[in-house]
Amino acid sequence: MKNNNVIILLMVFLMMAIFNAQSVFAAKLEKVIIGHPAALSGKYAKAGEQAVAGIQAAVDWVNSVHGGIAVDGKKVPLDYKYYDCESRKESVTSLLERLITSDKVHFTFAPYSSGLTLAGAPIAEKYGMVYMDHGGASDKIFRQGFEYVVQTIGPGSRYHAGTLEMIKKIDPTTNPHPKKIALAYEDSEFARSVMDGAEEKAKELGFDIVFKRTYPKGVTDLTPLLSDLKAAAPDVVIGGGHFQDGQLLNKQMADLGINTRLLSLIAAATLPAFGEALGEFAEGVMGPSHWEYGVTFSKEGAAKEGLTWIGPSQDEYVKLFKKAVGSDTLPDYHAAEASAAVLALVLAVEKVNSVDPDVVRDALGELKFMSFYGNWDIDKTGKQVGHAMVDVQWQKGERKIVWPESAKTADVVYPKPDFK
Amino acid sequence: MMRHLQKYSPILPVLLAYGVLLGIGLAYPGKWQLIAQLAFYCALGQAFNLFMGMTGYVDFGYVAFLGVGTYGMAVSIYFLYDKGLGIGLIFIGLALAAVFSTGLSLAVGAVALRLRGAYFAIATIGVNEGFRYFVEGARIWNGADGMIFSRHLRKAVGRETAMTLSTQWADILVFGVAVLAAILTLVYMRNKVGYALTALREDEDAAKVMGINVTKFKIIAFITSAVLAGLLGASAWALKLTYVYPEDVFEIHYTVEAIIIVLLGGAGTLLGPIVGALIYGASKYFLAIVLPGFQLLIFAPIIIVIIVLFPEGTVGILKKKIRGTALEKFII
Amino acid sequence: MIFEQLSGNLLQGVILGGVYGMATMGLSLIFGVLKVVNVGHGAFIMVGAYVALILFQTLGIAPPLAVPVALILGMALGMLFYYTAIKKLLKGPELASLLATFSIGVILEEVCKQLFTSEARGYHWGLDKLDLGFTVLPYSKLIAFGGSILVGLLLYLWFHKTRAGMAMRSVVEDDEGAGVCGINVDWEYALSFSIGIGLTVVSGVLLTMFIPVGINPYMGGSYTLKAFVIAVLGGLASPYGAFFGGLVFGLIENGSYTLFAQIPGLEPFAMTRFFSFVMLLVILLIRPTGLLRTK
Repeated sequence: MKNNNVIILLMVFLMMAIFNAQSVFAAKLEKVIIGHPAALSGKYAKAGEQAVAGIQAAVDWVNSVHGGIAVDGKKVPLDYKYYDCESRKESVTSLLERLITSDKVHFTFAPYSSGLTLAGAPIAEKYGMVYMDHGGASDKIFRQGFEYVVQTIGPGSRYHAGTLEMIKKIDPTTNPHPKKIALAYEDSEFARSVMDGAEEKAKELGFDIVFKRTYPKGVTDLTPLLSDLKAAAPDVVIGGGHFQDGQLLNKQMADLGINTRLLSLIAAATLPAFGEALGEFAEGVMGPSHWEYGVTFSKEGAAKEGLTWIGPSQDEYVKLFKKAVGSDTLPDYHAAEASAAVLALVLAVEKVNSVDPDVVRDALGELKFMSFYGNWDIDKTGKQVGHAMVDVQWQKGERKIVWPESAKTADVVYPKPDFK
Repeated sequence: MMRHLQKYSPILPVLLAYGVLLGIGLAYPGKWQLIAQLAFYCALGQAFNLFMGMTGYVDFGYVAFLGVGTYGMAVSIYFLYDKGLGIGLIFIGLALAAVFSTGLSLAVGAVALRLRGAYFAIATIGVNEGFRYFVEGARIWNGADGMIFSRHLRKAVGRETAMTLSTQWADILVFGVAVLAAILTLVYMRNKVGYALTALREDEDAAKVMGINVTKFKIIAFITSAVLAGLLGASAWALKLTYVYPEDVFEIHYTVEAIIIVLLGGAGTLLGPIVGALIYGASKYFLAIVLPGFQLLIFAPIIIVIIVLFPEGTVGILKKKIRGTALEKFII
Repeated sequence: MIFEQLSGNLLQGVILGGVYGMATMGLSLIFGVLKVVNVGHGAFIMVGAYVALILFQTLGIAPPLAVPVALILGMALGMLFYYTAIKKLLKGPELASLLATFSIGVILEEVCKQLFTSEARGYHWGLDKLDLGFTVLPYSKLIAFGGSILVGLLLYLWFHKTRAGMAMRSVVEDDEGAGVCGINVDWEYALSFSIGIGLTVVSGVLLTMFIPVGINPYMGGSYTLKAFVIAVLGGLASPYGAFFGGLVFGLIENGSYTLFAQIPGLEPFAMTRFFSFVMLLVILLIRPTGLLRTK
């Protein structure tokens, strides 16, 4: 009988926790809240943790430096509320709705990845809530006709545009060009959209695609694919998909002695752990990134382009981020793009002096600004079109920005050194 | 006639439970998604229990049926949206989901149902993974690119209807699947299928010797359970979320969730999956809110403790407690 | 050209397969003795990978020397989980032990995530490599392969030449009979679970010598699935069978790639996976005792 009592008590407790209906209706705005069903565990935990800390850093900046958000003639604090959706689609919907209906958040953020962003979109649309997409790069999200989804990460199809233009421009063997490009990438919607974009761009620039193959997620050995690739003797290899497989691809290319003029890996190569894991094999490896520590966006630069500037400088940002995450971790682009999404919201709210989602959504559509993250501008579907990517390269154990020329912190090493 | 119906009285508490759940959802529209998530776990547990609970066979690749069901609905909306079928698309989708899951369950049944115990569990994992890689490798239905069909649904039925379908009717369909699964479970329990499967669960070889056509009844239960999963996938994953990626739907994790739910509630009981789903879903939701990022770390040890201390599950214990009382007729 | 590629792939396949085989022996041993399928298998491989990584990065210990540490840690974990959970579930339905081992895997993953974050990490040992012309083999891979064979051999000797090993075999054959003969069956169960886990953690160390990158808390899942296929190839209940199963698996996975790559419109890599699972089903159907056993 004792057991039963405990179980009943537990159930009552749970029910109370779930239906703690907050019936306090704020008559006037005391704070602006953003809600986020974050991916803090499960397969997207790595990017999800970065995003949460990135948002916390931006919120910290807004409250401590910016002095809050100016609405209705006074500055109100910005508040951030997040739950963990475990990277699971069915949890996104219920947590998002809770944020909207019980926590009464004013704006919502999508979890990391295109899939989870899509999972929450119908709920955000139903409640007419602005839904900031900071980690869903698929172009297809913006062909669905959603009205409240606003993207900060750049669309996947443009990841390698800069890289390929760079080769075209700097390769001394202009005639004949390094014509042969191989694409070896993870079989996922994201990597596919990146590689299809790269293929299109490469063809436009007159390159030959000599190899295009995928490998499934969770792969543990790429040898057969790479021996196949080796036989195609490419000058340039573009590939990757996520963190582990990118490391594996690089390592096994080194093992098999596949040397190319350029190796560019999405996601993996832009993270600090990459150089640590691969040591000398990382030398010269590149990766396209939305943001990288060392980019040179500044208030002055914004003024020169005639754009509004908001947010911390890069160094201030890194300090805030480290404070949020509680360790010496550097932010990567997953954090930076989430932070930039917060800054965009702040600007839009202050501009229209309202937290009404429809009004703010329209303001976001008009908005163009610059922050430490770079330019921000969306088209009418909500897709990010203003943000340009940078290319990073591993040089002597450090990540350097090598492209575009206006943002570079070091000259590109090209062709990349051979694997030892 | 009354007496005949009396043996179905255990359906009453089940209907009551679903009625209350649905009622709460309708009364508090702001909690609808949570109710929907709980209903999804109920339906998942109920459908899984129909085969596993009665036979003792653990189908680890069960999620494959949800996966093909999701594809059934997705294919209907994605490819037929411009044929002017309107809301008919949904019915075609459900029909396709049923067809796909029946087809797959026949194929699996022919192979795996000859195996027992761990061999069966591993074979079904193989089916799920194999099927997923086949979809990706042979680029069936866009392969790993998946299908995103929010736009298609909207074009077919209009913006408002599409939204209601995704955020409400999909969930009501899930309730429907759960109730259907419960009713079928009870009907099987009270008929030849159930008797035969009980004999099989206790001792398969003895049942065969007794002249029971074990294979036939196993396949009936297996296909029923699979079709319910297909319908569940079509509504909870396709119609509700309006996208499908193979890696997302052929994910073994969901089978594990089904097992946890059934085990928490009590395998082979009628009411068990509901109780298990409510405990599981509510605590998962609660942990996601109070301790974001730590819920698995807390949940996994609790599950081990529960399996070790209460292997019969909540309803299993309850059944023992009420033996000989008037409630006995209603709780099975 | 294609033959050169194929032979290179096959050689790589054998070496990888040896390591995979070793990584499956623990699973088969536990199933053979306790009839428990360890669904959390991959998580123990992950633990082994972290052992190699941490020892190398913090103390500069070469990966092969991490093996004893991994063995001791693994056996300790095995004992811990046996006495806290597995022991009580042996007589219960399959469902209970499947769920328990799965949950153990989740616990390990989440603990490692808290300890080491979810960052994918790796180490750089920097050994030289052997160029054979048609393919290149780093020495670390060869050491991993040699280590796997050695571990397999030691296990064989232990089973056949020591009293403790023979006692364990008698439990596999007939646990009641063994009990009558004065063998402490419960202890044999505990010991085999612990050795099985120890072997699995060791295999994690060896696997990092093959692939020293991409180490993260959730890396185990794909190894669990591979291990199931390999274990079935080898007859599920036999650790040596598993070793040969691994070799066959490595050959098939790497060999079939080259063949699938000839068919246009397919993604050959995903098809090799598909093929290996089809094989799993076929073998379960026609020869559930495994490919290599005569009985």
